[in-house]
Amino acid sequence: MLNPGAKASKESDSGAPVPNPVSGLSFEKVFSNLTIAVLGVFFAIPMLWLVLASVDRRATYALKLPLLTFANFLAALQPENLGALGNSIIMSVIATVVGTVVAFLAAYSFSRHYIPWKGPVLLAILFLSGVPITVLIVPMYEMFSYAGWLSLVPTAILLAVTAMPFQIYLIKNFIDAIPLDLEEAAFIEKAGTLRVLRSVVVPMTMPGLASAAIFGFVNAWGSFLLPVVLISDVDQQTAPERLYGFMSSTSVNYGGIAAYSIIYSLPVVLLYVLMSRHFKAGFVLGGAVR
Amino acid sequence: MTEATVMPLKPAPSRRSGPRRLDRPRLKLASLFLLAPAGILLPALFILPVCYAIYLGFTNLQLVGLHSVHYRFTGWANIAFMLSDASFYQSLWVTALFVVGSGAVGSTLLGLVLAIALQQAMPALRMAVSGLAILAWTLPPTTIALVWIASASPSGPIAAMMADMKADPLYDHALLIVSAANAWSLAGLAMIMFSAALRNVPKDMIEAGTLEGASSVQRMMRITLPFLKPTIVTSALLMTLLTFGNFTLIYLMTAGGPDNATNILPVYSYLEGFKFFNLGYSALLGNIIVIFSALLGSVFVFLGQSRR
Repeated sequence: MLNPGAKASKESDSGAPVPNPVSGLSFEKVFSNLTIAVLGVFFAIPMLWLVLASVDRRATYALKLPLLTFANFLAALQPENLGALGNSIIMSVIATVVGTVVAFLAAYSFSRHYIPWKGPVLLAILFLSGVPITVLIVPMYEMFSYAGWLSLVPTAILLAVTAMPFQIYLIKNFIDAIPLDLEEAAFIEKAGTLRVLRSVVVPMTMPGLASAAIFGFVNAWGSFLLPVVLISDVDQQTAPERLYGFMSSTSVNYGGIAAYSIIYSLPVVLLYVLMSRHFKAGFVLGGAVR
Repeated sequence: MTEATVMPLKPAPSRRSGPRRLDRPRLKLASLFLLAPAGILLPALFILPVCYAIYLGFTNLQLVGLHSVHYRFTGWANIAFMLSDASFYQSLWVTALFVVGSGAVGSTLLGLVLAIALQQAMPALRMAVSGLAILAWTLPPTTIALVWIASASPSGPIAAMMADMKADPLYDHALLIVSAANAWSLAGLAMIMFSAALRNVPKDMIEAGTLEGASSVQRMMRITLPFLKPTIVTSALLMTLLTFGNFTLIYLMTAGGPDNATNILPVYSYLEGFKFFNLGYSALLGNIIVIFSALLGSVFVFLGQSRR
């Protein structure tokens, strides 16, 4: 496995007279491969436990060969657990749609129109995208409990707003990059602003909108703190909250937890895999800030 | 807009207040409509709460009891309490260790080593390991906390590797374990950034270095790393920001314990508010977080502008 000598000599013929090709390159290659193998083990072990425990009849926190079963996945798909996943889906979809649409409208205006104090406003928005969400919980809890909004939909809107500053920035960069000509042509043809947005700008900024939407979805899907504090009704519990409930309960079904967290993680992982196929570049920062 | 095309025969009464000058950009009605949703939502649900929190930080607001309804402005009382609060200083220290050690240094270094070593790795190994690193980055924080609790439990693989089945790594080395978990979850992003930057290192420079007889270490130190320097700075700052906001991981893994060993500021603020019911003091700790993140953000913006 770690004997890349043959390959090393093959590669060295690109740069003609290399002083000491075989020994220098092969040491480098062996060292690189060893490093990668060690780091690969570091990255693999936690995930390996997750996969093995999810199909293990007697799962514990130990890493061991499983007694194969699918009972864990059946346990994870109990109605209450599915309900929590459903709540997560509702919350994340609302947050994604609201955040992305509002951010797109604002981003278009910031990119194309004259706005007084545009620079300082954009800078303020950039600052907001770096503010940790933790600081919002006390004031939001006070405001929402005063207004009687401690439930799923207001929390979803709040999550949309927390993702919005970064989404505005992301989409604005994409709109900045497309040429003005098409929009101008459409305006000369007497298309209204909304028509231009729908027929010209949206199709051309699809990769940017997709990145922003993914960012919004991942942000809401992974959010733990805001739903825990701001959703008072147990029936509106989201999936991470339920997972936390499993983890901290006294009789722990390790296999069930593992299976449930795999099901819970799958949508986000699939989203990245599918999107990275579609949009090679530009989507990368999509999940930069969880 | 249409009136401007029909010029009146006599000159407009006052030219100075005339709003119809076309050589000056004006705020359009359309932009108001487009900006309105964001212009309402962002101030109402983000800026206003942050300002409200600044005020709450100077009150004796409680989660339950008498002061949950009838709270009042207490001036410098919270600040005076904070300055004499040993837990606060410990929290600052733990935050600094965690954010710098795991975020700025740990994640960036791990991503850098991954990206550089991947260049020379065998294709199958490269695909597998870069895939794993990116997968670790995409996982939701709750899942990351779960797999690391399992890995660091007394019967888990880390204890097994320490060849001491009685060890409880998550209890004995709590800060180290949560730092490793955080770096584990962020290194994929750093790796992507560095892989992209490595593709821009000119090949002929490396070849010239090889021809001049530079060793692989010399080529790394004198050619590759200097080219990567801007990316290293960007990555370190981004990782710092992301680590600073990483409440969920630590809260789920250790809840700030044992004995405040992992009590970073966001966790301390949450516990003060929703476990010890001191919402006012919790808000003040949140204000400290805002100040730090604003400082970090300024450095970010400053570096971004000075490069251009």
